[in-house]
Amino acid sequence: MSESRPVVLIVDDELQIRRFLRAGFEMEQFSVLEAATAEDGLRAATLQPVDLLVVDLELPDLDGSEIVERLRSWSTVPIIVLSVRSSEAEKVRVLELGADDYVVKPFGMAELLARARAALRRQSRSSSGEHLVKAGRLTIDLAARNVLLGNERIQLSPKEYRLLQTLAQHAGNVVTHQQLLKEVWGVKHQHRAHYLRIFVRKLRQKIEEDPTQPRILMTELGVGYRLASRAEPGTVTEELSQ
Amino acid sequence: MARDEWWRKLQNSLMAVRFGVIVACLLMVVVFTAALATLSRVISLEYVTIVYLIPVMVAATRWGVVPAVITALAAVAVCAFFFYPPIYDFRVEKIEHIADLALFVLVAVVTGRLATTAREAEMRTEAETLREAMIGAVSHELRTPLSSIVGSVSVLAASPEIANNAKLSPLVKGLHDEAERLNEHIQNLLDATRIKSDGIRPNVEWVEPGDIVNAALERKAELLSKHRLVVKVVPDLPLIRTDPALIEKALGQLLENAAKYSPAGSVIEVIAERRDVPVRVVVRDQGAGFAPDEREMIWERFYRSPRHRDRTAGSGLGLWIARALARACGAETEAYSAGAGHGATFSLLLPVQPNPDAYNLEDSDE
Repeated sequence: MSESRPVVLIVDDELQIRRFLRAGFEMEQFSVLEAATAEDGLRAATLQPVDLLVVDLELPDLDGSEIVERLRSWSTVPIIVLSVRSSEAEKVRVLELGADDYVVKPFGMAELLARARAALRRQSRSSSGEHLVKAGRLTIDLAARNVLLGNERIQLSPKEYRLLQTLAQHAGNVVTHQQLLKEVWGVKHQHRAHYLRIFVRKLRQKIEEDPTQPRILMTELGVGYRLASRAEPGTVTEELSQ
Repeated sequence: MARDEWWRKLQNSLMAVRFGVIVACLLMVVVFTAALATLSRVISLEYVTIVYLIPVMVAATRWGVVPAVITALAAVAVCAFFFYPPIYDFRVEKIEHIADLALFVLVAVVTGRLATTAREAEMRTEAETLREAMIGAVSHELRTPLSSIVGSVSVLAASPEIANNAKLSPLVKGLHDEAERLNEHIQNLLDATRIKSDGIRPNVEWVEPGDIVNAALERKAELLSKHRLVVKVVPDLPLIRTDPALIEKALGQLLENAAKYSPAGSVIEVIAERRDVPVRVVVRDQGAGFAPDEREMIWERFYRSPRHRDRTAGSGLGLWIARALARACGAETEAYSAGAGHGATFSLLLPVQPNPDAYNLEDSDE
């Protein structure tokens, strides 16, 4: 059993924060590695296989976003960044460098675990070829390009489907406006932010019970959108060991 | 009255001038006089007194108006006594010399004032840089320990030992709520500092109005948990162009205000609708309300109605922050109350800009 435990590497210079992260992850059956500096973190990540990285953005030796950039040059390991800066521009920047998600300090363990599970699930989906994504009553079949609401198939336009598909591939994690515009409309239309708002509105009318109080297609104000995660606590390790 | 003030100002500025500065000013005049005296055998000194402008300008740029005027007066006295006929007498005969002397004083005043203005501007920029750095440092220094507390408490709360202990779990819950409250206070203080230092730079983008309402409600969910919430977002509101984070914060302040000044169990309505303006977000409570003459005052910084001052805790910053953040991105705020005890209605009036191709997307959806 111990071999199948997912390994999380925590890179944060605050001892007290590493302590509670360790306790929280160990309670969820992760095995935990720690690093207090960016250099140590990068070294640890190259020396042994790691399933998940949790990286503070303000490290003494390097900006956390630099770690994200360097790691992404050779690895697809899920990365969640921690930040005390709550500026939206900062979040967008680090997400576009390749981080999977972020949480703003102070945060509760449950929030971080939800983000971490979603990122791990994306990783395991891409390696196992799993093609079903569920969010609330919605089921998206990425292989058959089908979308079911309950048991009923719903009709989406090609662009609406592309939008939902992109969000589904990152289900539970945030996708920035720019990433969505690029995926759905292409590089040339990345400045057409209002296209995205209007397609999200149309999509919500088709998939949400009350489009003004969305439960599936969630907004991250100033950053992007997130497909609600169906995460139930304690499912990560089971999924990973399958 | 105005004259009294003028006198007090003059006295203050005179008293603010240090003794050492006056000595330095007079010393400069003495040194120049000595230098000119040694030249007196070569040239006629009547025409070189203009060099006294040098100590006057030095005093003006380094120490300000009052030392400059003192230097000028000393130079005037020296010129009148030593250089302008009749010599060794303070009387001055020629009209040009009187003009020269007046010039010294004029230069002293003008240069001194210019220099003071320039120095103040420089100090203001420095103070602003310092304030920005302070905001950053305080935000980091206060939030880091708070993050440890909030995180650790969340782990404790989830652990079976605490979760199954009926005595301890409310304590841990309380710890969590208080830490969150502290975090809100820190955020308010930072916002207030940022407003005071004009440090708000709006990040404008297209936004779904309902998204802002939902985000603000989610952030304040804990605070609003004792009230009955009625939320109504009219479908098909126009998209707005604003800074969503700032408007969300402004709305958050209005929600917090409603929760604070209306009794637990009463209804708080949150409505996003099209009324008078394209998008109006309304927060209506059944609480304390305000008197008609307070309608504008409640938006002022540190204003707290005398009716709550002793009974409800508060900083008097909330509504002021709401208005400042809203205005920073082109929105406006409004308040209405039928009178004290009759509830209050606060509105955010959001700006909309025409967007010709927003509704013409069918071609792009191939």
